[in-house]
Amino acid sequence: MQMQPDAPPAAPRRFRLNGRDRSVTVPDHALLIDTLRETLRLTGTKQGCDGGECGACTVLIDSVPRLACLTRTGECEGRVVETIEGLARQGRMNRVQRAFHEQLGTQCGYCTPGMVMAAEALLRRVPHPTEPEIRAALAGNLCRCTGYVKIIAAVQAAAGEG
Amino acid sequence: MRNARAVVGQPTPLIDGIEKVTGQAVYTADLPAEGALVGRILRSKEAHGRIRRIDIEAARALPGVRAVITGADCPLTYGVLPIAMNEPVLAREVVRYRGEPLAAVAADDAVTAAAALALIAVEIDPLPACFTAAAARAPDAVALHADKPGNLEREVHHRFGDVEAGFAAADFIREHVYSCAEVAHAQMEPHAALASFDPERGQLLMQSTSQVPYYLHLMLARCLDLDPAAIRVVKPFIGGGFGARVEVLNFELITALLARASGGTVRMVLSREETFLTHRGRPETEIRLKLGITAAGRLTACAAEVVQRGGAYAGYGIVTILYAGALLQGLYDLPALRYDGYRVYANLPPCGAMRGHGAVDVRFAFEAALDALAAEAGLDPFALRRANLLAAPTETPNGLRVESYGLGTCLDWVEAASGWRARRGRLGPGRGLGMACSHYVSGAAKPIHWTGEPHAVVHLRLDFDGGITVLTGAADIGQGSSTVMAQAAAEVLGVPLARVRVIAADSALTPKDNGSYSSRVTFMVGNATIAAARALRERLVAAAAVLLDAPEAAVEDAGGQFHAGERVASFAEVTRAALAREGGAITAKGSFTCPEPFQGGKHRGGAVGATMGFSYAAQVVEVAVDAETGAITVEQVWVAQDCGFAINPLAVEGQIQGAVWMGMGQALSEETGYESGLALHASMLDYKVPTILDSPPIAVHVVESLDPNGPFGAKEASEGALAGFPPALAAAVADAVGLRMDRLPITPDRLLEALAQRARAGRLARALEVA
Amino acid sequence: MEPLAPFRVLAPASIAEAVAAAAAHQGARFLAGGTDLLVNLRHGIGAPGVLIDLRSIPELRRLGPDRGIGAAVTLAEIAAAPPMLAAYPALIAAAASVAGPAHRAAGTLGGNLCLDTRCIFYNRGEWWRSATAFCLKHRGETCHVAPTGHRCHAAFSGDLAPALLAYDAEMRIAGPDGLRTEPLSALYAEDGAAHLRLGPGEFLAGVILPPDPWPAAYAKARTRGAIDFPLAGVAVALRTEAGSVAGLRVALTGTNARPFLLAGTEALLGTPVDAAWRDRLGRLVQKQVSPMRTTLAAAHYRRRVAAALAGRVAAQLAEAA
Ligand SMILES: Cc1cc2nc3c(=O)[nH]c(=O)nc-3n(C[C@H](O)[C@H](O)[C@H](O)COP(=O)(O)OP(=O)(O)OC[C@H]3O[C@@H](n4cnc5c(N)ncnc54)[C@H](O)[C@@H]3O)c2cc1C
Ligand code: SF4
Ligand code: FES
Ligand code: FES
Repeated sequence: MQMQPDAPPAAPRRFRLNGRDRSVTVPDHALLIDTLRETLRLTGTKQGCDGGECGACTVLIDSVPRLACLTRTGECEGRVVETIEGLARQGRMNRVQRAFHEQLGTQCGYCTPGMVMAAEALLRRVPHPTEPEIRAALAGNLCRCTGYVKIIAAVQAAAGEG
Repeated sequence: MRNARAVVGQPTPLIDGIEKVTGQAVYTADLPAEGALVGRILRSKEAHGRIRRIDIEAARALPGVRAVITGADCPLTYGVLPIAMNEPVLAREVVRYRGEPLAAVAADDAVTAAAALALIAVEIDPLPACFTAAAARAPDAVALHADKPGNLEREVHHRFGDVEAGFAAADFIREHVYSCAEVAHAQMEPHAALASFDPERGQLLMQSTSQVPYYLHLMLARCLDLDPAAIRVVKPFIGGGFGARVEVLNFELITALLARASGGTVRMVLSREETFLTHRGRPETEIRLKLGITAAGRLTACAAEVVQRGGAYAGYGIVTILYAGALLQGLYDLPALRYDGYRVYANLPPCGAMRGHGAVDVRFAFEAALDALAAEAGLDPFALRRANLLAAPTETPNGLRVESYGLGTCLDWVEAASGWRARRGRLGPGRGLGMACSHYVSGAAKPIHWTGEPHAVVHLRLDFDGGITVLTGAADIGQGSSTVMAQAAAEVLGVPLARVRVIAADSALTPKDNGSYSSRVTFMVGNATIAAARALRERLVAAAAVLLDAPEAAVEDAGGQFHAGERVASFAEVTRAALAREGGAITAKGSFTCPEPFQGGKHRGGAVGATMGFSYAAQVVEVAVDAETGAITVEQVWVAQDCGFAINPLAVEGQIQGAVWMGMGQALSEETGYESGLALHASMLDYKVPTILDSPPIAVHVVESLDPNGPFGAKEASEGALAGFPPALAAAVADAVGLRMDRLPITPDRLLEALAQRARAGRLARALEVA
Repeated sequence: MEPLAPFRVLAPASIAEAVAAAAAHQGARFLAGGTDLLVNLRHGIGAPGVLIDLRSIPELRRLGPDRGIGAAVTLAEIAAAPPMLAAYPALIAAAASVAGPAHRAAGTLGGNLCLDTRCIFYNRGEWWRSATAFCLKHRGETCHVAPTGHRCHAAFSGDLAPALLAYDAEMRIAGPDGLRTEPLSALYAEDGAAHLRLGPGEFLAGVILPPDPWPAAYAKARTRGAIDFPLAGVAVALRTEAGSVAGLRVALTGTNARPFLLAGTEALLGTPVDAAWRDRLGRLVQKQVSPMRTTLAAAHYRRRVAAALAGRVAAQLAEAA
């Protein structure tokens, strides 16, 4: 264990990001949202609040939805991090993205990356969720445009039940 | 759908939707800004006071600080209404609310910027502050603005028809005071701006979270005293607006001033707290409403006294207080109206325009009063509405033209879909149904800046590749307007949607547009797009006629081809011929102007509320009330809206659902709050936007009345349904627990308090009986 | 928003290392899921140079053995209703009701039990708090909620504590003096500015559930269905014998500076749960809760709804018995 707190703060952090091994050198207090957006220029992950209150920054760590604004980059060491940019394959939308697009689960699009990631995590865990399960899984993601109606429809469509 | 055509009327995913779901959409805060300076704003902690000193020397001397500015750097005020531009970019002499910008810095990084702010010394001599409309109107209140004694920004006194006679003829009259808390837009994207100033050329490039890029251009030219030709405003993706960005905001001008002062690029990303402090929400409103009906349910007269607490600066205030009066009309046949409106200044963040601008709170009062009157008169709420329907075309007593009117059909649908007749009053204890109607304008018929130009201009460009580019200044902020423009152009030109691309809101490329407000874009810019597409089509037909060796009248186009008898020419061939004929790339222009007769009554303020087409909506809300906790669960909503024609039924549904849902937030949980003028609601935790767990299914039915002037018959689709929700909810609560709640939002604590009060009153009455 | 003040994070591999790290770094703070601490740090509340991340201690991440739950076990793990917790539905319900799914994936039992108290004058950014000249709880002199008093009334708003109190759970505290076991109620004090009775360098290692728990349930009131702290939360454990209440524990959160067990419930034993009984319980609750104006919702509402929920949960348990 490292016991010297006054040592220089930045250190390399290695993790798998959207299918690629990455290493970024950032201090302990660096937040994942800033590392993604500022250091790695992956701006798909959004900041919608001053910390922990909106879900716009939702990313997946080991397939579990996490708030990038309350996650230290250092915590990602050795783990699998996925952002909205990592879902498409060779430029083709994945099923959740396609459903959000086709069912108008997105209007202004600002909550969308977080919503899509939360929905993606749900469908990996529960391929055919009930409506209450969908609501529970997206409960931490605020949307100001849609009233959520078409977001639920999009998740159902992605699960093949729309 | 009944009126659908090849492209319009077809459910169409947004043309920029793929960017949004893949994370490729670039919003203002996402713009590449390598090496940009970090902009920060120092905000007043005082609610009202005289600025004695702002000392920026130490901040300026801090290494890494590139610019520090104060009100001294911008002597001009700004504002959206030419007659009320009273807001300083950075406070000068006086501060008027807690959170008002005092100074700003641009620095190499966020840490330096924060350190610089901490080094700015501010001395303010406090003045008495007023935080309520009542305090601001008190005789001894200190005036926020020297030219507005009594803190009255504007009073409106309108009378139409014989109000006294109307009340005399009424069999039932309800007079009651309703109040609505101030609410905020809380769009998910916090405010941000990126400004680059080129000192060599004296040019400014501005990108910002704006719904009104052209107004931004105007205000930048004014406040920075720049030649408009030296300014370019580009709109990135916008994460919602709902009116929050429908006037130029101080942070945008500050970012530009910092860019100029530092001679570089400045990026300003406001925190959520600052975004709330910038505000421009719907004002706290008190409505004293008196409404009369006959025994048969005919409206006889309405008298409304409305007080809006507008905050520290004018903003849209005059328009809001005028809308509140004007839009009491236009929904029902209301023979007589007296309206007295008071817009009041207070030491709070400025209010502005919010979805349903001006109409929502008065509609709550009006519909709630109707519901009470229906009960008193023993009428069904639907029957009461039906007794007062307008017959289009018509003109209301205050000069609003109604050309299409599908409210009756809306009522029929929601009544049937909700099972109203069988279910109302029979859902068992704690459950209830309520209904209400609402409407909204499809664009203000008279623009704020009267320049003599058309109200909307669109360019269509066609070049060698055969692609059609729609150039529009209209700002798609998520509502899907670019998709509507593309659909309109594709429909008229008979080409597939994929052939059309839209370039929106770049002042260097696109024609000027007044912006995304008052639901004007589909109606006005849609009509301009149709005109441009027709113009382009004519030129293609002319070229095709030559190519096909036939008179123009004999040329027909269908499925992306041109025919004359047996002969056929492809779109590509005709394009080539047209380019050769016209000497290269073709730009066709289309424009739209609301004709004079639609621009409102001749009385003072009569232009506000006037529009070429009103949307109409009716809705039924079903609730379950937990009488022990006061919690209200909205089980289901049925809403029907007459939007004239749904150019994109998918988006129309989405807009209506969003509007109903936003009305639900205002009705149930959303409100701002201030502690001595300090915003208590300034976070997404404290400002209670409903979550997905609080949000009901919303069944939508689109009614197409085919407005004679709308593009393909279309009217407004994204604001009209909002105002109906709060009164429909209140009516449902009344049905469920027998209490008429007259104050929004109906939070669990208010409802529980009201239930407890009723229980106390009941006990008292019983005790008195016994005694 | 101010930039986050820099800190170092230490990742001890054992309880002993964590204790040593705390001893070596005065002013260090313990970090678990960070869903409370990082929010506060982002708000500029405190600027500890060192955080000691307890999640790196394997022992603290364990569910079991027996009925022990490590402090670093996440709320999501508890909410997933593992077999070990089958007899403790109130705990599972409480964990499932916290914030949103992403918070629960990060947030831990220890962080939830050691959650900072909350107040509308405290959970704010630096500018906001400085505009009120700060307050008693942090950096300031007066309490804006009760300006004439001398203590902080910020409300404890964690959901798990009442459930665990109702189950009569014990806690394990680690510190310079080793590990000790005490009733969970001993963790809390009725002071919003110092609500945890943890000595210097001490931290919560875990909780131990009692065997053979009474039937219990948890209910909470809040404005929204998620992303919202409890305005009042009530856990009730209730045992009946022949239709009469034979054992009763009621614990509350969200109303006071600490979560607490309702006193005087003995008086409610020996009778069935009927309307009159519920009234008596409600009055007992109303007497002992002391919500102040620390939330946007009215204080009297929290008092009322706490009483209503207590009666409702008790009635449901009695009915199910
Ligand atoms: C929007 C939002 C909504 C929320 N809603 C709820 C809610 O409804 N109910 C609820 O209960 N919580 C809520 N929370 C708070 C929080 O998410 C949870 O309480 C969570 O369980 C905290 O755990 P953590 O591990 O993240 O704590 P951390 O943030 O890591 O720590 C919290 C505090 O406890 C201390 N600490 C952590 N572990 C220990 C330990 N083992 N020993 C001693 N001290 C320790 C830390 O030093 C810190 O002071 C909400 C948070 C947010 C941002
Ligand atoms: S209760 Fe008083 S002292 Fe405690 S946080 Fe609130 S204002 Fe500060
Ligand atoms: S940005 Fe809002 S929760 Fe992370
Ligand atoms: S689509 Fe705009 S916030 Fe969800």
